Amino acid sequence: MSELGTVTFGLLLIAAAVGGAAVLTWFERRLLGIWQDRYGPDRLGPLGIGQVVADMLKLLTKDDWVPPFSDRFVFVFAPTAIVVAMLLGFAVVPFAPQLYVLDINIGLLFFLGMTSLAVYSVLLGGLASNNKYALLGGLRSAAQMVSYEVFMGLSLMGVVMLTGSFSLRAIVEAQRDLWYCVPQVLGLFTFLIAGIAESHRLPFDLPEAEHELTAGFHTEYGGMKFAMFMLGEYLGLILISCMITTLFFGGWLGPWLPPLLWFCLKTFALICFFVLLRGAIPRPRYDQLMTLGWKYMLPLTLLNLVLTGALALLLEGQRHV
Amino acid sequence: MLHAQVTGTSEAVDDLFARFGAAALARQATADDTPTLWVAPEQLLEVLAHLKPRFPMLLDLFGIDERHRQHKPTAAGDFTVVYHLLNLAHPDEIRVKVAVADGGSGVPSAAGIWPNANWYERETWDMFGIEFSGHPNLRRILLPPTWEGHPLRKEHPARATEMPPFSLDDDKQAMEQEALRFVPEQWGMARATDDAQFMFLNLGPNHPSVHGVFRIALQLDGEVIVDAVPDIGYHHRGAEKMAERQSWHSFIPYTDRIDYLAGVMNNHAYVLAVEKLAGIEVPERARVIRIMLAELFRICSHLVFYGTFAQDVGQMSPVFYMFADRERLFGIIEAITGGRMHPAWFRIGGVAQDLPRGWQRLVREFIDFLPARLDHYQAMAMDNSILKQRTVGIGSYSVAEALEWGITGPALRAAGMDFDLRRDRPYGGYEQFEFEVPVGHRGDAYDRAAVRVEEIRQSLRIVRQCLDNMPEGPYKSEHHLTTPPPKERTLQDIETLIHHFLHVSWGPVIPAGEASFPIEATKGINNYHLVSDGGTTSYRTRIRTPSFPALQQIPLISRGLMIADLIAIIASIDFVMADVDR
Amino acid sequence: MLETLFYGAALIALTATAAALTRANAAHALIYLIVSLLAVAVLFFLLGAPFAAALEIVIYAGAIMVLFVFVIMMLNVGESGRAQEREWLRARHWIVPGILAAALLLELLLALRHNPVATSAMEVDPKRVGLALFGPYVLAVEIASLLLLAALVGAYHLGRHFIVRREDQR
Repeated sequence: MSELGTVTFGLLLIAAAVGGAAVLTWFERRLLGIWQDRYGPDRLGPLGIGQVVADMLKLLTKDDWVPPFSDRFVFVFAPTAIVVAMLLGFAVVPFAPQLYVLDINIGLLFFLGMTSLAVYSVLLGGLASNNKYALLGGLRSAAQMVSYEVFMGLSLMGVVMLTGSFSLRAIVEAQRDLWYCVPQVLGLFTFLIAGIAESHRLPFDLPEAEHELTAGFHTEYGGMKFAMFMLGEYLGLILISCMITTLFFGGWLGPWLPPLLWFCLKTFALICFFVLLRGAIPRPRYDQLMTLGWKYMLPLTLLNLVLTGALALLLEGQRHV
Repeated sequence: MLHAQVTGTSEAVDDLFARFGAAALARQATADDTPTLWVAPEQLLEVLAHLKPRFPMLLDLFGIDERHRQHKPTAAGDFTVVYHLLNLAHPDEIRVKVAVADGGSGVPSAAGIWPNANWYERETWDMFGIEFSGHPNLRRILLPPTWEGHPLRKEHPARATEMPPFSLDDDKQAMEQEALRFVPEQWGMARATDDAQFMFLNLGPNHPSVHGVFRIALQLDGEVIVDAVPDIGYHHRGAEKMAERQSWHSFIPYTDRIDYLAGVMNNHAYVLAVEKLAGIEVPERARVIRIMLAELFRICSHLVFYGTFAQDVGQMSPVFYMFADRERLFGIIEAITGGRMHPAWFRIGGVAQDLPRGWQRLVREFIDFLPARLDHYQAMAMDNSILKQRTVGIGSYSVAEALEWGITGPALRAAGMDFDLRRDRPYGGYEQFEFEVPVGHRGDAYDRAAVRVEEIRQSLRIVRQCLDNMPEGPYKSEHHLTTPPPKERTLQDIETLIHHFLHVSWGPVIPAGEASFPIEATKGINNYHLVSDGGTTSYRTRIRTPSFPALQQIPLISRGLMIADLIAIIASIDFVMADVDR
Repeated sequence: MLETLFYGAALIALTATAAALTRANAAHALIYLIVSLLAVAVLFFLLGAPFAAALEIVIYAGAIMVLFVFVIMMLNVGESGRAQEREWLRARHWIVPGILAAALLLELLLALRHNPVATSAMEVDPKRVGLALFGPYVLAVEIASLLLLAALVGAYHLGRHFIVRREDQR
């Protein structure tokens, strides 16, 4: 792609991601509604999709209040971090063979870096609010994110080993014969769990945990700043789905249909899965979450790493013979 | 009353007379035949301690202002403190009363004998100003600390119009705000130890998981609860005071709103007590209709519990399914009573109307439909491993602890106590029904939920028996105190017309006396203690609710756990703040 | 073009670091420090070490700084902490270390001037880093891992003290 083309695509991508996240707020409520024997927002426009516009208008016109007891600078800065980090994360996603913003040989690491920066939003939001519930939410998120990041990165190293590159395009290309969801089933499983934890959605929404911490880290937030948190969360959801598609389900690969459509279909299916997961599972306790992370998930990823390493060496050996 | 019970009680009374001598004790006859004994304040604790092995539970403790009472018992003084004790192993009860002079030295505190006396005594002090010497923390409990006067005293105004207009200026607001400040030292809590600084978290009164307006002040070390102080009273409406201004009949709608999830179950407790006081026998059909409605409301209440329980441990979906089922149930209740959550449909001596035509089909459809849904919920919620992790072994107590703290109903059965008033001391016609009493064994949050889930099925069984065996006959009693009185004969003779006129305008005049009637409500034992002075209104109405002692026990079972566990415990208690604060 | 970007990032790194040093509010100082680390990551990237850049973000900005914020939250330093910070920012506290550091910087500049290091235009990709780490420097990697293990055991030992105490309380 030309320079100009890349820039145009980048801007389009931002618009699509933000728009997608906005529609997702409506889609999630509708889907959960159907699942829970109720309607969800169905009043405005066809199927209620006008709700997205109504919600946006409401959030935009709300009083932009900063609590007088908060740390104003950090309080305002915090919600922007997650949106910026998540949008940057989209830069490395290859949507189709020629459709991407960046193809760098550390694409995967770039993605990991951006998700780890998104943590600050939650953390600083909780700290700046000067509210005990927000503080507890922030503390929880710090512990949760740091723990889950460890094996989030490790769970992907199997994929990297099999491909021999951090480039996401190379990873997709390497799945021509077999999607990595088969040889890397352990990696997929652990990455899925880490992904939910990173986007702090139910069942791993402990930083927010409405029933325990009222609204956790964003207790004091309202209006547009709250909308930024929500936007970040939904962007995170889409990004994680994109990544799982890319890393484990062959990205744009697929017969008959155009590559971009394949990519979108796969991502959409994963998003639905995440939404339904939210409707199904209760929330573990904070220490149980930590136990799950360190005592089960981490060993599992390490096991995956060793197995994949052995497999890779075996294949290498056969090739030489 | 059952024969066995009368002999059992007389045994207890004989034993007391043998121990303390006839001079120290005075009997009082009551309409409900519960042995009622007066003792002197000096001997009170000794008598109570003597009774405790036989009556392990302090069911209720409350005051009566006797100063305006015409038909006063001979032993009564200005005020009376009543101790209502219960024996569950051999269903049996006894009331101990002690007279208190206005402005006198009060009575010794029983908090050392039954820990749950603590809150009851605070409430009695709050309402009457009766001092309990030796009480660890005698302060207001239902009313704000800035309240002036003791509202259940007869001289305290009952209506806002009897008081100067209320206004809240800035100074007063600041003062009220300041009074709400949590000062840990007042509760014997340290702000820090040598190596840790505690965080004090104000959970409530507005918090998504406290089910109403309930506040717990938490002392936290990280997320671990070091201590907790439940604070109630935010939902206090003064129902007991209102009862003194409403006619016997017009108080019924107020009872619906005590445990607002249990609808006519509250009516049931109240009308049974009034009928006991008035000596009304209720026709068979009315009894079965009442039981059917009460059990339908038990299902309603338990469905709300079930859904919110799952919701509070973070499961999003079940509550929607259960509310949908409850909505179907409300459809039936609406068809029968015309109301939904608060039908106020029971009447003194019967029910408001006969069942509508076609009720059988509605009820049958529902009881055929629900069991499959319950199986589905079992798989979805109760069998879920995360839910189990969150609730098994959390907030558990033993039977002995539960008895000490006055825990009744499903919460008591969850600990392993096989006791249900409906089976063990049947009332209102329950003796004719076949059902089982589910019992847990761990007494933890999970068992409390599991017991209730099984109770839904047992209630369905009872409703089915009501459906199959609904007797024919009148839906209200022929007794002259039945309210509203039968209309048919009023146009034929003047005597009946006069009676009808008076009963409808003044309301019935219930003969002087005292009676109480404990029933197995949705959340535990609900007991209305009524004192009639031979008038058209109650002289004193005491409402004992199961939610009140359950909240008092929260600190005991939540220390050392985490905030998330506390939420699971609160969810598993199944309380209604309106039921706690009245 | 690249040079402009490089000096831009370097300027941001310097400013952010200076700001991080002079903020009295710990949370603000940390945000500046994070920005400074991100700027350094950009420098690495521009110098042809994308892997180092990514690690700078993932590990320093993304994990270690999170722990810093975590500690700030745990300590809950309020106005008193800020007052103490302001006290420490007085010249008499930092003037001597400042002079010493300036002297060191001067020395470094002089040394660089006399024998300039050849800045290789070669790109250091992840594979090269891996080969280097597990080739010539494998001993260093092993030593580092041993050190980390020792730190882990030490942390467990210190933490156990609190776990035991907490269980006593129950």
